Amino acid sequence: MSLEGNTEIKLEHVSKTFVDKKNMSYPVLKDICLEVKKQEFLVLLGAGRTGKTVLLELISGLDGEYEGTISFAGGQLETKDMGIVFQKYALFPWKTVLENVEMNQKFRGMEKEERIAKAKGYLKLVGLEGFENHYPHQISGGMKQRTAIARAFAGESDIMLLDEPFGALDAQTRWQMEEEVLRIWEEEKRTVIFVTNNIEEAIYLGDRIVLLEGSPAMIKKEYIPDMKRPRSYTDTRFLELRNEIGDDFALVL
Amino acid sequence: MARMKKWMDLLLPVLSVFLLLTLWILLHVRKPDIMPAPLDVLQKLWEITLHPISKATLPIHILVSLGRVLGAFALASVLGVTFGVLLGWYETFHHIAWPVFEIIRPIPPIAWIPLIILWCGIGETSKVVIVFIGAIVPIVLNTVAGIRQVNPMLLKAARSMGANDMAIMREAVLPDSLPSIVAGMKTALSTGWMCVLAAEMVVARQGVGFLIIRGMDSGDSALILAGMVVIGVVSALITVALNYLEVRLCPWKVTQK
Repeated sequence: MSLEGNTEIKLEHVSKTFVDKKNMSYPVLKDICLEVKKQEFLVLLGAGRTGKTVLLELISGLDGEYEGTISFAGGQLETKDMGIVFQKYALFPWKTVLENVEMNQKFRGMEKEERIAKAKGYLKLVGLEGFENHYPHQISGGMKQRTAIARAFAGESDIMLLDEPFGALDAQTRWQMEEEVLRIWEEEKRTVIFVTNNIEEAIYLGDRIVLLEGSPAMIKKEYIPDMKRPRSYTDTRFLELRNEIGDDFALVL
Repeated sequence: MARMKKWMDLLLPVLSVFLLLTLWILLHVRKPDIMPAPLDVLQKLWEITLHPISKATLPIHILVSLGRVLGAFALASVLGVTFGVLLGWYETFHHIAWPVFEIIRPIPPIAWIPLIILWCGIGETSKVVIVFIGAIVPIVLNTVAGIRQVNPMLLKAARSMGANDMAIMREAVLPDSLPSIVAGMKTALSTGWMCVLAAEMVVARQGVGFLIIRGMDSGDSALILAGMVVIGVVSALITVALNYLEVRLCPWKVTQK
């Protein structure tokens, strides 16, 4: 099944309920309908525990048990057809930066020379030239996340899923990485779904922002930050949108 | 302060060894006929290094014991890791094999000695089998624990890169469990060293365990203590070598600490 027009991913009435060992049901997502356009930078925004990561796992195929349908422009896609950047880097600690990035194409069966050249290209793209032979425990959190981004990009999937990739970074590094990820995306356009709980990050990055809320989580509202990039945090419209989302954003603490 | 601490770090181990020697000498002074002096033991060590007992000098006895341990250890490593991976990774295999393992596991290797001698006789095989029984248990336990603690994020990442089951096992599961497996091997080697001595004390014509029994049979307490000193020193050397090997095998774990 292929999708019409400009749509890359389509979610129809997707719901997810976890059932524990005592047969208790925990509904996490309810009736999510969402279309992601080709080469769109879509941000999924929500407070903690609003099922954002779960939704990403459903889209990526890491979790295949749900109600509703998820379809792709490219037909039946599996986990391996998407590039994923995880919250806590998920790098192989026994491999160097270069080897980590190389793994993506190694698993896919590419010849050694070719995949090394490709990995080096992506390391250059994320600004990690000269760190090829470092091990993950020898580099900073920001550099680990750059490595993870390079690794995900090296798979050359059209769809990139980023699950709160900068959540563990300090504010300064976080701003740098946001700039960086936009630069990479503009250089190598892919369809991106970016999960975050940070309103400003969402406005800074997204072509479109989808707000998830409630338990089970539903799509509460959508926003389009109609501003040219690079966006400024102090721009009037930036601040207006931040206040608008902030009012809708129920902080359940 | 830092310099002071450095001195203390050097001084304290020396003091503790000195304390042990003092206690030894005190015992010797009170009961000289059954407790030889440290110097007597040193002299005995020198003597048996030059003059063979039961056709072998001390280095040969040590090598004989070590050979038995290493042979059994190699066998236990291969089979133990394989068995541990099956137990840790495949739920069905775990259901089938774990109860049996759990019943056999607590039986001390020494309790197997009579049965093994009945089955395998008093040759080399029985000693190797006894050491094998002692060594395989910690290797299996640590392999299972390592496999079960593999970081699930790494498995997800590998899947997102198109890895099949074999590749996930080879590139993610095994390397991530390696520190735990190596820790199991360390325990296995020291357990194996204890088992070989026990086995040799029951029946052997060569080996460090045999030296101790020979000492007891001939009322030569210096020979008994010489054997015990050798056990301690060899065991300490094995630990040092294994710690070094651990750093080489899992550099990412050790430098993180």
